[in-house]
Amino acid sequence: MKSISHIFSFIVLAFACGSQLRAENVDLSTVPKRDSVQLTIYNSEDITLVRETRVVTFKKGLNPLQFSWANTLIDPSSVELKFLTAADKLDVEDTTFPHDKPQMLYWNVKSEFDGGATIQITYFTSGITWSADYVAIADKDERTLDIDGFVRVTNNSGEEYENAQIRLVVGTINLVEKIAELAKIPVADVKKLKEESQLGFRREVLGRAMDRMAVGGAVSAPAAVPAEAAKEKEIIKEGLSEYFIYTVEGTETIPNGWSKRMRSFAGKSVPLKVQYRYRPREYGEQLVRMYLMTNNEESKLGTTPLPDGIVRLFRNNGREGLSYLTQQTIKYIPIGDKIELNLGVDPEVVFDLAKLRTSRDHIWMQINGTDKFQQVGEDLIESQVNANVAGWDDHCLYRQQIRNYTGKPIDVEIRRSFGGHILFRSQLQPTQFDFQTAQFTAQIPAGAKKDLLYEIVQHQGRNTKQNNVTLETAEVKP
Amino acid sequence: MPTHLPIRRAVLRAAAALASATLVFLIVPNAADARVKLITLPVRERVEIQLDHPNATLVEEERVVPLVKGANQVDFSWANTQIDPNTIVFRVVGPAGSEKLDVTVASVSYPPNESSLVWTVGASASGSARVRISYLLGNLTKSFNYRAVASHDEKHLTLAQYMRLDNLANESFRETKLFAGFGPQFQKPIGLNETKEVLVEKFEAVPIDKTYTCNPQEYDYLDRGQNKLRVPMHYVIKNDTAHQLGKAVLPYGKVRIFIEGAGDQAQAATAFLGEDWGKFTPKDDEMRLYLGVAQDVVVKRTIDKNEAKRVTGNLYNHDVVIKYEIENFKKQPVTLDVTENLPYVRNETRGNTNRDVDYDLREDTTFTGGPDRERSSSEKLVFHAQLPAADANGKAEKVIHKLHLTFKNEW
Repeated sequence: MKSISHIFSFIVLAFACGSQLRAENVDLSTVPKRDSVQLTIYNSEDITLVRETRVVTFKKGLNPLQFSWANTLIDPSSVELKFLTAADKLDVEDTTFPHDKPQMLYWNVKSEFDGGATIQITYFTSGITWSADYVAIADKDERTLDIDGFVRVTNNSGEEYENAQIRLVVGTINLVEKIAELAKIPVADVKKLKEESQLGFRREVLGRAMDRMAVGGAVSAPAAVPAEAAKEKEIIKEGLSEYFIYTVEGTETIPNGWSKRMRSFAGKSVPLKVQYRYRPREYGEQLVRMYLMTNNEESKLGTTPLPDGIVRLFRNNGREGLSYLTQQTIKYIPIGDKIELNLGVDPEVVFDLAKLRTSRDHIWMQINGTDKFQQVGEDLIESQVNANVAGWDDHCLYRQQIRNYTGKPIDVEIRRSFGGHILFRSQLQPTQFDFQTAQFTAQIPAGAKKDLLYEIVQHQGRNTKQNNVTLETAEVKP
Repeated sequence: MPTHLPIRRAVLRAAAALASATLVFLIVPNAADARVKLITLPVRERVEIQLDHPNATLVEEERVVPLVKGANQVDFSWANTQIDPNTIVFRVVGPAGSEKLDVTVASVSYPPNESSLVWTVGASASGSARVRISYLLGNLTKSFNYRAVASHDEKHLTLAQYMRLDNLANESFRETKLFAGFGPQFQKPIGLNETKEVLVEKFEAVPIDKTYTCNPQEYDYLDRGQNKLRVPMHYVIKNDTAHQLGKAVLPYGKVRIFIEGAGDQAQAATAFLGEDWGKFTPKDDEMRLYLGVAQDVVVKRTIDKNEAKRVTGNLYNHDVVIKYEIENFKKQPVTLDVTENLPYVRNETRGNTNRDVDYDLREDTTFTGGPDRERSSSEKLVFHAQLPAADANGKAEKVIHKLHLTFKNEW
């Protein structure tokens, strides 16, 4: 099925009289059909490797082949021709990119025999993309979670690849030029392109491609539903070098402008841990509820790394329906790594920080005009007028109150960061997350309230010796 | 190109006029060459609207979809509604009848430039399946408001909590279950562009505190020249079981406050006292509703003493005494909450040093019972002053209180 705008063609000039014939106005050509096509789609860049095979009948001598790709987003510098059969009897003598037809090239193939051969043409195109997304539904009690991973392939390439084998590459590759940019210029001009124009050009090209689709009205319809479409296709996952390749079982046809979403994996009853976290650097100044899982076999996952994508999270609400929890973009999660989903603030858990008391001590005075220092205390006489405060300790007593109305005991993890030279005094058995961050945890029974007390001593002025937090275990009274 | 597509589109447009979200089932057995098509329009059997998320509305609808053995196309389209197609979840609940039917969703296709999608669904036999489609719908929003009617003696109030649904989603729903995330579920129709207000809960005889407060930092002076403080009044509703509440959080919303009249005609003589925004109130927290400024409780605040004492060098302690002269012209005794913000007082007397306050509460303080520990902090002191009622002639007894503080270690 080809639409009007679908102008990819392969022409064998029947009169093999050399390149001068191409200037003539009367041509005769045959169009060998595409026998197979494979798409390898990358999600880190807008690039797809197309590998197609066709059977072409050659005659002994020179055979001109014309390959054109009007209104598509193919990179002309990437087009390659290979002979899969009779390779020892066929040679490409030369390749010509005519100056007046940017989306076309000619191969002169020299054949030593009369007969058919299978050829393979490969090229890069832009406009075919894939993305991952996930739908996760937690059970009512939030102990397990069903997660489905999906891949969605979108075809805006201007070309319809019928019955294509689809392979999706998970991972990042390096490109020095954008395919969409290369697609629209004669091969001779590729070098002229400046880097800064790349992005704008790409948008323009894509825009033009979209306009053509709209004006032509040539939106393709899905193929009629063949019986095999009823079966959910398996997506085979395999590692290759630093990448992971998903191969969609069988073949797919995705008309230009359409996208198709298929399930890549299903994790059933994945064990789930709920944790409440206060980490201002990551989640802002709020206590958030987290779902924590692991992408491994024990957790009934781990068959594939999870590519970047949006997770949409629901919970079985116990009334035969769903509650919407959140949607969140996750970054690539390797096999074995943690999956952490932030559900935001839970109105059933109240998290209050109160500053109960502030004071100062260990005040050091510097006698003016000298390098003599004296600590303020009982010994220091009032008569020392000619002195200025040079160092002191600020004390601040905090009460972190957590009230749990959820009906279940909860685990809370709190990270507090401080600049300067800090003593963190408490009986909370904190650990040091980094040089300026103390981390402590608490379990709050269902329906209970807990007050976590800690005192911050900040050394100031000449009392400052370090830039870090020291943890001290000591009783702190309100 | 198969010919079924233009037919499908025509039906979709017609269907869209009936309801903006439409499910179309296309029967295309071996459809490659078929020219005659039959399309069924499975209706919504049941709709639930979940309003339990603070800023998203989830619609769940259940439909019975007839399927033929093999592959089926199920089209879902919407017009002029804000459905996020990426949030649509299609779940097969089971066969609609008693016959066994295995249904799988093979893939979803998204046509270009259309608000629709097409599920390719495989069925093990011909029969009907019950499916549930969930999606986030924009412009169907909720808000809360309250009507509080205080008893004549201002000891209790009746608090009615309403949920208001604004349906600008360009979609109507017949009998629909609504759930706010708390309280009961409702079954109501929601029409196009309709606003619907439902009573979620009504709490009777909720004990309240009426408070009189002075706090120069927060409420300022009524008359600066005469040192008279503004004395706002509040009803304080505590969201706990002891106060007939505490079942759930009280969401943010406007509270209209009324008071019953006296005598037998209490209901008929109900008067409007004003309105305030009720803040989001977790369980065990207080919702304070501002009622206006009290005219009959007069508080004069003067700083009686402000004395700097050198500790050494440029280090000083500051002795501060604040005097309150309070008169209650009301016929009832009143408790006044006297609140001082300590950095405010320090800045007023010593000047702003941008340091935390280090202070001692001193011996000349007269408030009995000391500061209210629950409501005081490192920066705030709250005291309660008991004020007797005015005498029969309307003459108020002048109550004098002092707050004596030392701000320590300032420079």
